[in-house]
Amino acid sequence: MKISDIPDVDLKKFEEFKKRNFKARLEFIKQYADWIKKTPNKIWSAQQKEIIG
Amino acid sequence: MEIEYGKKIEFEKELSSLDQFVIAFTRILNKSGIKYVIISGYVAILFGRNRTSEDVDIIIEKLDLAKFKALWTALLSEFECLNTTNAEDAYKIYLLCGDSIRFSRKGKYVPNMEIKFPNISLDGFDLLALNERKEVVVNDNQMFISQIELQIAFKFSLGSDKDIEDAVYLYELFKDKLDIKLLRAFSRKLKIEDLLNKSTE
Repeated sequence: MKISDIPDVDLKKFEEFKKRNFKARLEFIKQYADWIKKTPNKIWSAQQKEIIG
Repeated sequence: MEIEYGKKIEFEKELSSLDQFVIAFTRILNKSGIKYVIISGYVAILFGRNRTSEDVDIIIEKLDLAKFKALWTALLSEFECLNTTNAEDAYKIYLLCGDSIRFSRKGKYVPNMEIKFPNISLDGFDLLALNERKEVVVNDNQMFISQIELQIAFKFSLGSDKDIEDAVYLYELFKDKLDIKLLRAFSRKLKIEDLLNKSTE
């Protein structure tokens, strides 16, 4: 790949994308917290262990 | 989630390797009679947040050199200090100067426990965290964490995406149990009311 092949980035649009992405992450975290509250410890902690080790 | 949330928080979970590491370390602090409080992202992870961390931040009460040396010896039975092999250096060059020292399991680098004395330049928040710490009993293992209201406000004030996510997670998980007046008071002090409102609406 040539350096000239790298596309220009619209930083304003990129900032908006990051904001939207972060908002979506927060929404997911709220949903996940809600799920944990309704889920037996054995189940959620087993899933967490799969991620963390 | 089955959890007892009162003067202390009590629950059972399948322990991750990070949980086991923290339990092994805090067991030595408990046995040594050291007052400490866990203040880091581990608090959210303990209660199910799905991420890991390479370090766990702990504030311990300010000790004199003799007491610190006794703690050092007890810790070296299972852990090693990543900063120095000399207890006096750890105490004088790091802790007394406001810097932290890190301990990991012998031969490992991560995860590690990052220990420091209360920082007086943080307007007393470190001391507050230590004095108002909350007892947690997980699978019969005792540890002390920052009170959840302070943890949420402090995470918002740190302000990185990861910290805000931790704060939102803890808020959502415990919002029915929190002292909201206290959370608002911390938020005012740390000037994060707008962020708190926006992120938890």
